[in-house]
Amino acid sequence: MSSKSTIYSFLILGLAVTLLLIVAPVVYAISLSFYRMDSFVGTPEWAGLDNYARVLSQWEFWRALINGFVYSLGTIVFQVVLGIGFALVLNQVFPGRNLVRGLSILPYLLPTVVVVLTFKWMVDGSIGVLTNVIAALGLPPVYWFESPGAAMASVILVSVWMWTPFVTTTFLAALQTVPTSLYEAAKVDGTTAIQRFFHITLPMLKPILTVIVLLRAVWMFNKFDVIWLLTQGGPVGSTEHLAILSYRTAFSLFDIGGGAAIATISFAILSVAVFIYFRMFPLDTE
Amino acid sequence: MAQVSLKQVRKAYGGTVAVHGVDLEIGDGEFVVFLGPSGCGKSTTLRMIAGLEEITSGTIEIGGRDVTRLEPKDRNIAMVFQNYALYPHKTIYENLAFGLRMRKMERDEIDRRVKAASVMLGLDPYLERKPKQLSGGQMQRVALGRALVRNPEVFLLDEPLSNLDAKLRVRMREEIARLHQEVGTSMVYVTHDQVEAMTLANRIVIMKDGYVQQVGAPLEVYDRPANLFVASFVGSPEMNLVEGRVEAGAFRSGGLTIPLPEGVQAAEGTDIVLGVRPEHISVGEGPHALPFDIAVIEQLGAQTLCIGQVAGVRLRVLMERTDAVRNGSALPVSFRPEGLHLFIKQSGARLDTRRSPVGQ
Ligand SMILES: Nc1ncnc2c1ncn2[C@@H]1O[C@H](COP(=O)(O)OP(=O)(O)O)[C@@H](O)[C@H]1O
Ligand SMILES: [Mg+2]
Repeated sequence: MSSKSTIYSFLILGLAVTLLLIVAPVVYAISLSFYRMDSFVGTPEWAGLDNYARVLSQWEFWRALINGFVYSLGTIVFQVVLGIGFALVLNQVFPGRNLVRGLSILPYLLPTVVVVLTFKWMVDGSIGVLTNVIAALGLPPVYWFESPGAAMASVILVSVWMWTPFVTTTFLAALQTVPTSLYEAAKVDGTTAIQRFFHITLPMLKPILTVIVLLRAVWMFNKFDVIWLLTQGGPVGSTEHLAILSYRTAFSLFDIGGGAAIATISFAILSVAVFIYFRMFPLDTE
Repeated sequence: MAQVSLKQVRKAYGGTVAVHGVDLEIGDGEFVVFLGPSGCGKSTTLRMIAGLEEITSGTIEIGGRDVTRLEPKDRNIAMVFQNYALYPHKTIYENLAFGLRMRKMERDEIDRRVKAASVMLGLDPYLERKPKQLSGGQMQRVALGRALVRNPEVFLLDEPLSNLDAKLRVRMREEIARLHQEVGTSMVYVTHDQVEAMTLANRIVIMKDGYVQQVGAPLEVYDRPANLFVASFVGSPEMNLVEGRVEAGAFRSGGLTIPLPEGVQAAEGTDIVLGVRPEHISVGEGPHALPFDIAVIEQLGAQTLCIGQVAGVRLRVLMERTDAVRNGSALPVSFRPEGLHLFIKQSGARLDTRRSPVGQ
């Protein structure tokens, strides 16, 4: 039948594109991790698991792994908590609500470079708005990019600033699906607003929250541009996570096999984490 | 158990008034039904009693206590919602227990009350299930149970049966009536279904466009509808309403002339609507019988509903089951004076006939 063959031809086309654009580069990157290479033009030399052994024995790798967890955990917790908080506020009836709802998505729409430059300008040592506010409050100056702790705080702050609107918007939309009569029944049952949040809102929105957290976690774990633009992993590697270490290893130290090995390990860790996550929070139950 | 008292209770949404000053005294243990078409303000009134809707003006008292500014949880009421509003991720047991847990009741007492209510409502076997796993009728029972365990001063029910199919609706109706007899708590019940209202209520409050039209026992409302709206809304099949005017001391419409019942005062030439229920037109020969030309016959089983004309006026007549009637045939019918209702056309108000009710 012609309709069937049409369907198959689309299917094959789709598979081919997927293979070419997604599977092939991944396979290629993974295969690189088994070779010794110091440039992309030379002939690769089989190295077996040497790259992995070397990478795993470097303490920079473990530091980057821990930094990655700190960064993604920190950004996710703040994004989700703040995002839900804003969504609950924006769900109330107040004058100008639609305008505020519209404006709240803005940081998400801005290019990363713009957000990063804005932040850098805000914390500039002499003219920065934040710098001056901190000075006016009589607090000691913050060395945003110079001290390791502050640098990590900076990248988390900027990331949370950028991606909280995503959580807010998604959660706000999901809030509209909860029947108001449930809240009314709970009011009659004697609950406080906080109890209603934990007994109704949260359980009702658990499936959507599961997906939000997962998406954010994957994105944050692989996030490259914000950190690269803000600190390039510094100072002294305090904000360097696996993606940046992999990049630096491959393109600054010209250890392409090592960089690929780091990327492959990162990919494996993420896959295992997602698997465990779905075991802990299955999507199909209430 | 308690009295509920509404004094000039009003609700406006911006410029539009949903409920105009309602005054109502609901007695201890009474079953009061708000009846009216969709949008007439029944739910709004009920929700104001519950405290789910702010009151624009007026006061509400429950058990002699002014609750006008109190939160729903402090009014000692329980509410049953049209869509049940069960907590989907809690078990039936937890649904029933939730309101008690939130009130920090002893675990044993909660368990005792939940068990008692679930036995009463036949929910015993389902306590560990989630609402999704129940049928509509069972979910409605859980909603009733959730109200029951609280042992409130007043039950408020907003169209609790309208999501059920017709058969189940009748069963649940009986169950609610039984429940009311057993617990004896005051109930305020909202419905647009006049059969529900007639069968359940001690008193019916009929509303239209935010105004109370009439308050009375079901048969009072049936026997003496206060105005045209109540006359047409209560009773099934609907009351025949015939427009005409007072001429020479009689009601006249087209070729139909009916002497005004004794005691009715109406000025000559007044535009009048005559109401007569289909079941109050008698069939059979008599001194004032008129021929009824039958056009449509509806067999209802025990009764036969005929639609046709008397002297050019369209009427419905409900009679004992009659197998012999045919389309186009004619039967002699007469109007019993005690079955006649007269309303002023312009205002819709009833013209009093000072008679004893039909059936006495
Ligand atoms: N939140 C609201 N905002 C504006 N108008 C409302 C609101 N709720 C109800 N109304 C209006 O109030 C009137 C009465 O509504 P309601 O009490 O729900 O009617 P019923 O329950 O008798 O069908 C309706 O005309 C409805 O449109
Ligand atoms: Mg309603």
